[in-house]
Amino acid sequence: MNYLPLQIIVTVFSLLVIYRLIKKFKDKTLKIGEFITWFLIWLGVLVVFWVPQTTSYFAFFLGIGRGVDLAVYVAVLLIFYLIFRLYLKADKQQKEITKLVRHLALNEREEDNE
Amino acid sequence: MKTFIIIPCLNESENIVKVINSVKEYGQVVIVDDCSIDNSYELALNQGIVVLKHYINRGQGASLETGDRYALKHGADIVIHFDSDGQHNSLEIPKLIEPLLLGKVDIVLGSRFLNSTDSTPFIKKYFILKPAILFQNILLGLNLTDTHNGFRALNRNALSKMHIKQDGMAHATEIVSLIKEHDLKYVEVPVTVSYNEFGQGFIGGLQILKDLLFSKLNK
Repeated sequence: MNYLPLQIIVTVFSLLVIYRLIKKFKDKTLKIGEFITWFLIWLGVLVVFWVPQTTSYFAFFLGIGRGVDLAVYVAVLLIFYLIFRLYLKADKQQKEITKLVRHLALNEREEDNE
Repeated sequence: MKTFIIIPCLNESENIVKVINSVKEYGQVVIVDDCSIDNSYELALNQGIVVLKHYINRGQGASLETGDRYALKHGADIVIHFDSDGQHNSLEIPKLIEPLLLGKVDIVLGSRFLNSTDSTPFIKKYFILKPAILFQNILLGLNLTDTHNGFRALNRNALSKMHIKQDGMAHATEIVSLIKEHDLKYVEVPVTVSYNEFGQGFIGGLQILKDLLFSKLNK
């Protein structure tokens, strides 16, 4: 089967993401740990699409039948992990909003008294 | 003794004035309006009491914590948590704060089930509250007869140690766990709760469990 069109689409998309990652890292909106993690993930995507045999090698090593199955398993796990991280982040932001709202409520009362 | 009565309020224009007037004689009333969309805030303001306003709805736990911080800052010796929907009986306040005045305990928790005239609906009592109480007691190693009863009183020692971080309804379980964590002396006294609505249902219970779980993961 000819995967070339898909390989090109994924490559263009991955390079765009990597370009944005580098830009964000330079702007100091990404920490070095985050940058390296994301960079390796998207580099991994490129490797998997251009050298698909690598997934078969790892799949065999882990006792999974096909390389593509491994790729799907890893992708699903990664998505779940990211959703979890986002949930924790949203929860933290909710707490920060509460602190602000409380500060405002107490301050307003003190100002009214003055 | 400087007593503050903290009443979290959300859209309670029908009951708020009545509730304020029923508790006024027992101490300084502090209403925490949690972004009501009716005129609860204006009605409370007209009663000549302290009214704090949350500009964004944050939940009952967050409102109680706001009231607690206000009371602590203004020299409260005793703080009473009281519901704004008229479920609690203000005549029971002296009985609730008595153990605090005697210096026996740090916190007094109201319990519906110590009272023989308890009127909790059957399904709520045996399918929601009792299992929740059992679960809470096993989890925290305490021996309480009620859970999620918002009628409670704290002394200054308890107030300065307890910081409610659960914004939603999970605060009641959090308060119980804080009693254990800070080794506070507590006692339960029988109180009556009149039911206007069904209150916390099964889904509400699941939400509380979820909030507690994530609070452990997201410290």
